[in-house]
Amino acid sequence: MTTPNFFEAYDEPSQPVIRIAQYRESLLRSPSRPPYKRPVTLTEITGPLNLARKLKTGMNDLSRVNNGARAMGQLIWVTGRLLDEDGMPVRGSVIELWQANAAGRYAHKADSQNPAPHDPNFLGSGRCLTDQEGRYAFLSIKPGAYPVPNHAARWWRPPHIHFSIFGEGFMSRLITQMYFPGEPLNAADLLLNAVPDEKGRERLVAKWIPMMQLERADAVGFEHDLVVRGHRATPMGF
Amino acid sequence: MVKKRTPTPSHTVGPFFPARFFGEGDYDLTFVDDPAKRAQGQKIYIGGNIYEAERVPRWNCMVEIWQPDAGGCFNHPNDPRHSHADPNFMGWGRRSSDDAGWYDFVTVKPGGYTDPLTGFRRAPHIDVAIMSSGLMRRLVTTLFFPDEPANAEDPVFNAIPEADVRERLILKPAKLEGAPADATAYRLDIVLQGDGETPFFVD
Ligand SMILES: [Fe+2]
Repeated sequence: MTTPNFFEAYDEPSQPVIRIAQYRESLLRSPSRPPYKRPVTLTEITGPLNLARKLKTGMNDLSRVNNGARAMGQLIWVTGRLLDEDGMPVRGSVIELWQANAAGRYAHKADSQNPAPHDPNFLGSGRCLTDQEGRYAFLSIKPGAYPVPNHAARWWRPPHIHFSIFGEGFMSRLITQMYFPGEPLNAADLLLNAVPDEKGRERLVAKWIPMMQLERADAVGFEHDLVVRGHRATPMGF
Repeated sequence: MVKKRTPTPSHTVGPFFPARFFGEGDYDLTFVDDPAKRAQGQKIYIGGNIYEAERVPRWNCMVEIWQPDAGGCFNHPNDPRHSHADPNFMGWGRRSSDDAGWYDFVTVKPGGYTDPLTGFRRAPHIDVAIMSSGLMRRLVTTLFFPDEPANAEDPVFNAIPEADVRERLILKPAKLEGAPADATAYRLDIVLQGDGETPFFVD
């Protein structure tokens, strides 16, 4: 078996709570009834393996647009491996990421109330394929923090990068966010702290790569492994 | 020795998923990357509104679907019949609900199959995942077709004990503006919360 063929429900404490009192949208959009248990069948343990035929990849450099001038801000190099629950690399899998610019503004029409400036040299989105080791890498700009408006409890989102990950089955599909180590705003973020388990929260925070371990000297390096659901029912190595 | 890992926690997709990530062909499953090479089967169109609480239409929701081809096969090694899968059908699509909360897909009617894991007979169905700001985890459900005798045996359809609730997962034949002329059109509204709430499954 080359791909995971066994998918279990998530381990609850390592996943976020669904309703967050001060996050109004979570109260308006979460179902009021608990989800129904269903058997897992072939549809759930399969998924698109050749997505690059639909989704254009090779967009690894967010630091400039069409070879134009470099975006404002601190250059960062974000890399890591995509693994399944057996620790096996997930190869040739699409990784999408998006983020705010250095001032904390998204290039998106929904970010219209934010007074922070746009950066014409920064789109803030990229897409790539994982390699034979399951590795991905992006060159980008350190995102700024931004305030969440129109809430009873206003708060600052700490610098973060959004990830959209596919894996090898429909049940391995994952949307998540990556945080930066040592950011004071991490401690007060309502979304990061919606994950009850401390180890779970730690899995969302990237690790700084010491400069001497990085091949390039122009960007601050961060290592961030991503783990999607799915393992193999037959133990490997037998 | 296998090193056991714990999956990375899920988070909301938020409101800022890049518009440029929604490609023109992503909501049309009847071809993969060459519009001249079409998937086999009966072309269908599925559309509906997404509502949050109080029946407020929800724009900017990310909807993804996954389904077998017209012959009930997946182009995936976990399917013992994968060598029979239609090479011009990927089975995956993605769409953002528009300013009025409308989502839609063009695809082919999926075939049913006998599940190799459980032995259950699966009726024709389409798996759906909804991602939105406010949803820390995605919501998953499955759509079924009207007048399918196989629904009565389907283990996922029947995982919902209340007949009136599982009925909400059955596509309704409808005349829809966005439907291609050669497609059979169905409507299914998705209610995230409140009266007529769509049943969702444990992910
Ligand atoms: Fe964000």
